[in-house]
Amino acid sequence: MSRRLRAILIAGAVAMVAYEIVVSYVPGPPPELIFVITNAAVGLSFLVAGIAAWQRWPASRLGLLFTIVGYAWLLPQVGQLRYALPFTISNITANIYAASLAHLALAWPSGRLRSRFERGVVVAVYTWNTGQSIVSLLFWNPRTNGCAGCPANLLLVSGSNSIEHIFDVISVPVGLTISAIVLTLIVRHWRSARGWSRRVMVPLVWISFAVVALSVVQTVTGNLNLHVSNLVLYGIAPLILLAGPALFVASTLRARMARGAVGSAIVDLEPGAPPERLRDALARALGDSTMQLAFRLPDGSGYLDTSGRAVDPARPGQGRVVMPLGESGEAVLVHDQGLEHEPQLVRLTASAAGMALEHARLQAEVQAQLEQVQASRTRIVEAGDAERRRLERDLHDGAQQRLVTLTLALGMARSRAAGADPELESLIDSATKEAREALVELRELARGIHPAVLTETGLAGAIQALVERSPVATTITALPAGRFPAQIEATAYFVVSEALANVAKHAAAGSAQVTIRQLTGQLMVQVSDDGAGGAKPEGSGLRGLADRVASAGGVLRIDSPPGSGTRLEADIPCT
Amino acid sequence: MPAACRDVRLDFVNPSAEILVVDDHDGFRAFARIMLEAAGFTVAEAATGAEATEAARTVRPRLVLLDIQLPDFDGFELARRLAAQPDSPVIVLTSTREASDYGGRIAASPVAGFLPKDQLSGAALLEFLARSPA
Repeated sequence: MSRRLRAILIAGAVAMVAYEIVVSYVPGPPPELIFVITNAAVGLSFLVAGIAAWQRWPASRLGLLFTIVGYAWLLPQVGQLRYALPFTISNITANIYAASLAHLALAWPSGRLRSRFERGVVVAVYTWNTGQSIVSLLFWNPRTNGCAGCPANLLLVSGSNSIEHIFDVISVPVGLTISAIVLTLIVRHWRSARGWSRRVMVPLVWISFAVVALSVVQTVTGNLNLHVSNLVLYGIAPLILLAGPALFVASTLRARMARGAVGSAIVDLEPGAPPERLRDALARALGDSTMQLAFRLPDGSGYLDTSGRAVDPARPGQGRVVMPLGESGEAVLVHDQGLEHEPQLVRLTASAAGMALEHARLQAEVQAQLEQVQASRTRIVEAGDAERRRLERDLHDGAQQRLVTLTLALGMARSRAAGADPELESLIDSATKEAREALVELRELARGIHPAVLTETGLAGAIQALVERSPVATTITALPAGRFPAQIEATAYFVVSEALANVAKHAAAGSAQVTIRQLTGQLMVQVSDDGAGGAKPEGSGLRGLADRVASAGGVLRIDSPPGSGTRLEADIPCT
Repeated sequence: MPAACRDVRLDFVNPSAEILVVDDHDGFRAFARIMLEAAGFTVAEAATGAEATEAARTVRPRLVLLDIQLPDFDGFELARRLAAQPDSPVIVLTSTREASDYGGRIAASPVAGFLPKDQLSGAALLEFLARSPA
């Protein structure tokens, strides 16, 4: 809506209400205050709602309809001028507001009538409400029929009270029929509506019943000359019409609350929540229990919703609308058509759902990558262990074996050379010594590459051997006897090996303790000493060890306060 | 072990041997034979666990020098089987590794002891024989 149009509408509304109040007091004796208040309040409320609705739904006709009702309500007040022409116009237009109210109710909430039949009904209502007034005026002489002080009726053809009365009586069933048709259509709209639309239809149904009831009572009592208090019928009861603009305000508030609810629903979703949780959260926030969140099948052959039901985006069903989430078309939201009248809410829902799905997808991707990295790291360590075992075995079968044979050969040569040549004996002795030292060094090297005792005897034997070789007095407080998977055994072994090596090199400890316990789902390895403490976890040895433990899915903890010894603890998952 | 008899290399077997050297490393067996024969032993050889089983049955050596790692048998398992035979020989396990590399398995085996290969000598074997009941 342009600013000029908005200014015109606001000025018109102010002028009409001001006029209503002024003419009530200027020409003649003032009416009851309640009449002035009711007329002004009802007219103003529809005009304000119309301007606001126009602003909120520029593409919808709701704003126009509210505005028409407002003007149609106030226009008959020109009759207050007490001149023949405005008096006649006032009587001609007296019931147009009722027709525009029916039009508004039938067009709610989209602003558009749903079928050709309904358009016909609306035309009929306008025609009847205007035509009936005109025909009635042809035979109504106000000066001889209850309103001696009224201006002249310019449409008067015959002042026959009986004809006018007969027409008024006939009008009653016609008016009732038209009202019943309008009410029936509104109820049908309510019954066929789902989700969001149904929620906004519920108050309309109640309001329509009340307004139609008021209209019927006014018509019947007026046309049949029944005596009912004007103060109630025309002063107080019409205040029920304020429910129309109130309905607009309520729907605005509901949309605003729904936007907040959508935001909260997305925020409250835990990271990586499954799609059905997202659907449930959005369905709750928007009050559309029929909402479906559907994903394209990997082969592109169709869509399935979160309950596994097939969804055809080309034919979502009557009253249903498909909203693509994101640009890829991988996911769609199928929702109630009524939501389309809240474009901001639709946009917010689409972007929020799209973000949540993207977040979930990214999180799943990161999780999958993490799992791949974890598996890859485990495979690398396992491959490294296997390679170390092969190297140790190769050293054992090859170089060590040849050095042993060489040592034996030198021994035999030494015994055969005995007494023959002292220099040769000395030479052979030196060679034997070198060969033995080489063998010792090679054994240490092989053991460092991979401890054969671990393969041969398992963790218990290997830890026992480590402890026996440790230069620091070390005791074993607990050690499980069984075998574990090779990676678990190797990881636990290297934790103890590295820890005892550190104790010997850096801790200046008097004693150390090794504890290995098999707990539920994990192997707990603990090495503690009574040394100087102050070990730095970021040191390359301990960091490498932490990586090694992590590769098995475990955790390494180091507690090493200066002066209070060091405790190194590893939890290694183990089923 | 009847199933393995077909592959046994009985041509290696000396019927009067007192020492059976079981090792898959040809060079070690050859030097062990020379060294032990020089020390006065009669020596038979077996390169596999199957050959060793057959040789132990036919040759009936007084002592078996048994490499822990054989291509077809775990040395500890073979030692257990040999020890289970009537009039079982004195069994001495050997390896290029140290005894500590086998943890408590050596002590738990029905063997007279362990001798690192590089410390093999006639005197060492005599010592095992002397410690073992006849």
